[in-house]
Amino acid sequence: MNELRGRLFSEGCRVSLRLAAFCFLLLSVTGCGGGRGGASGPSAMDSTLVITSLGDADYLNPVIGATVTSSNIFGLIYPSLLQSSFDTTTGLLNYEALEKRLRKATGASKKPEAALARSWTFSPDHRTLTYRIRSDAFWDDGMPIVAEDFRFSYMLYGNPIIASPRQQYLAELVGAENGAVDFQRAITAPDDTTLVFRFHKPVPEYLALFHTSLTPLPAHYWKDVKPEEFRQSRLNQNPLGAGPYRLKSWKQQQELVLESSARCNLPKPGNIPMISFRVVPDYTVRLAQLQTGAVDVVENIKPQDFEGLQRAAAPVEIKTVGLRVYDYVGWSNIDRDEYRKSGRIQPHPLFGSAKVRRALTMAIDRQSIMDGYLKEYGELCSSDISPSLKWAYNNTIVPYAFNARKASDMLREEGWVPGPDGILQKAGRKFSFSLYTNAGNERRNYASVIIQQNLRAVGILCRLEVQESNVFFENLQSRRLDAWMAGWSIGLEIDPMDVWGSDLEASRFNFTGYRNPDLDHLCMLAKKKMDPLEAKPYWLEYQELLHRDQPVTFLYWIRETQGFNGRIQGEELNISGVFYNIDDWTLRPSATLAP
Amino acid sequence: MLTYIFKRLLIAVPLIFGVLTLTFFIIRLAPGDPAAFFIQPGISPNVAMQIREQYGLNEALPVQYLKWLMNVLQGDFGRSFSRAQQPVIDVIAGALPITVTIAVLTLIANFVLGIIIGVVSAVRQNSFLDRFMTVGALFFYSMPEFWFALMMIILFALKIPIFPASGLNEIGAEGFGPFGFAMDRLWHLVLPVTVLSINGAAGIARYVRGSMLEVIRQDYIRTARAKGLPERVVIMRHALRNALLPVITLMGSSLPFIFSGALFIEVIFAFPGMGRVTVEAIFARDYPLIIANTFISGTLIVFGNLLADVLYAVVDPRIKL
Repeated sequence: MNELRGRLFSEGCRVSLRLAAFCFLLLSVTGCGGGRGGASGPSAMDSTLVITSLGDADYLNPVIGATVTSSNIFGLIYPSLLQSSFDTTTGLLNYEALEKRLRKATGASKKPEAALARSWTFSPDHRTLTYRIRSDAFWDDGMPIVAEDFRFSYMLYGNPIIASPRQQYLAELVGAENGAVDFQRAITAPDDTTLVFRFHKPVPEYLALFHTSLTPLPAHYWKDVKPEEFRQSRLNQNPLGAGPYRLKSWKQQQELVLESSARCNLPKPGNIPMISFRVVPDYTVRLAQLQTGAVDVVENIKPQDFEGLQRAAAPVEIKTVGLRVYDYVGWSNIDRDEYRKSGRIQPHPLFGSAKVRRALTMAIDRQSIMDGYLKEYGELCSSDISPSLKWAYNNTIVPYAFNARKASDMLREEGWVPGPDGILQKAGRKFSFSLYTNAGNERRNYASVIIQQNLRAVGILCRLEVQESNVFFENLQSRRLDAWMAGWSIGLEIDPMDVWGSDLEASRFNFTGYRNPDLDHLCMLAKKKMDPLEAKPYWLEYQELLHRDQPVTFLYWIRETQGFNGRIQGEELNISGVFYNIDDWTLRPSATLAP
Repeated sequence: MLTYIFKRLLIAVPLIFGVLTLTFFIIRLAPGDPAAFFIQPGISPNVAMQIREQYGLNEALPVQYLKWLMNVLQGDFGRSFSRAQQPVIDVIAGALPITVTIAVLTLIANFVLGIIIGVVSAVRQNSFLDRFMTVGALFFYSMPEFWFALMMIILFALKIPIFPASGLNEIGAEGFGPFGFAMDRLWHLVLPVTVLSINGAAGIARYVRGSMLEVIRQDYIRTARAKGLPERVVIMRHALRNALLPVITLMGSSLPFIFSGALFIEVIFAFPGMGRVTVEAIFARDYPLIIANTFISGTLIVFGNLLADVLYAVVDPRIKL
């Protein structure tokens, strides 16, 4: 028995010793690992900028890459024909080659040394654009960047088997009017430094420059890949570029690391030796890591977290870019059941009248939603032209103020009177509906509860329904919803026909069924102008029409906020992108690098 | 027993096949479109059509099913829609080692902790220690994993910054050498494994306690004590062995967990494991990946149950298969 007890004891001791050894090991690792600022010498963090992202890159190939992370990475790996800059005084995009600019820069501006184009000429008939390309630019493998690379790349962008999400950019090229671009005529490369684009119709110069500056791929590297194998090619994970950074490593769904490319002359190797894009799906964790200094950049910080960030161990700065995103409440303007059944267009029984929609906008206290959630990072919205696009924005429009009494009066004038239960009624129909939104959006959840209360105060019964994003989007597309809450992120070029065009079959995103021939006409006139500034009067009137008709209740513009670690220097945020000049950023040395 | 195993394996084939067929049709009936990502302003409407064509979604459902069936019979589960058209087998092969590492560490911690707590609670039944452990186990058992994980991160990564909040390795861990790299990986796994094992151990402890209480009231335990055996031997050799029989069933049913991943933990700690692969595939309507994951889960559930039955027969001579 004693022997057994002794054996048990000795076994117990062995287990305890092993556990103690493991704990010691763990503690010693814990002690030496983690974070910058240890006293043991410079760490990799000192020379690495860490950017968190919600999702991973898909393809490191600008022809087919579609995620936000991919787009951020293309800008660092690949060269571009032109540089673009956003002029904050006018709200216009400017396109710049080495020796030419579309518009005169209004402020101090750097020479666009990253542009591959020296200059361009645009024919007087607005149908031919000829670029002169620099001859001193090289891909990372030493091969020169030539005009044929662009021609080759555009053929990839336009190949239906490859299904590039950017094929819309080729819509004005010769042949596209018949369904397929005629590449023999549309794009020619007479020599290595001359590139010619031909359009089937007159195109404004800014649009021609915008649509012809798609990112090129090296033709010699990709030429043997068949179109049907293009998306599956290993080269998509092993890109050959010419930008200030190149791919160092990529652990999918974890981390993608770029290193400064020493031989880059477009315009120079990136200042920061390494940039790591880390996938961190959970917002709370991204925030915690920004606070501890484990990561440097976190996008889309929620306003309620700013205060906590001020107290963070690592110095954090909150930066904002222009107004590109807005939320709205969509009202089905037409009787969607009737339209789906017979194709006939009749006003919606609840939301068919513009006066009722104006009353709904007045009944919603948009300012309270902003004060409660967005604070100073929101701005009342009255149309889909952003105040950041100053050249086109109509600042004479005064947004409808919250006025429940006036809203009730307007509803009464439209025949909506309170029933015995306090809910408005008209011809036996109650003013009652479901307001749908997509799951997982805290801001919209917050707003929808206030909207529900506001509407109840004027006698409207609104039920809140949350749907999984895919289901919600499919229901929107097929016009199955009467009322919903969603948002749009706008482009920097104004092109609203997809959203408001009266041809409901062609306007894929006109979920409301709004139809106004005057608005169609204004958009057509504006698009015909070769100089966007000449289209300004049309866009001003366009905003007045939207404000009057309220096809949706425009809620607020959202100033997106980004958290930056204080060690980052030289960053210039711009509405065209958070990482607009990332190759010029530097990292302030930490204590570990101090002499 | 071999005949029994062979029969069960034979039954498993149509069972798994049936599960896959059902999944194939059910996910196609669900609303949502794998090409929905390409339906947005500024993208030509042709793109979504071309993408559907590439994925073979424009063909009639029976044709799609037959093609899929022929490919699966040749061991080809197709290419992922949402992950850059990688073969789904490669996607799973990338995620599986991470999930298995976490799950094996968690299971070991689960069972060791769970058995210890369960035995102590049963032996000291109704004592303060038992009550404390019972309340503690219930407290952790009923705590949502994601919340517990976030609290651990706030406590041990933010307030007292000892452990990293996410990721599998530190920036620049490749330069630490193989041992340093492995230790760094281990250091990153401390919080997630702790969260998972505390939660799981609490459940196992309840099983072991119940089973142990039943066993120590048996006549043969009384007989062992009457023989004058020390309490430790009675508990460890006579009672625990028999009390662990139901736990073996738990081990078998834990097999799918090893491979299917712990979603919340993988999302919160940013581990690209099987849980995330599965859920992201569902949200993206990535049909080939969903079916391949279902195949793995389904197969493991079937084999897990078989393993539990066989182990039961191996350890308990009263059971004949």
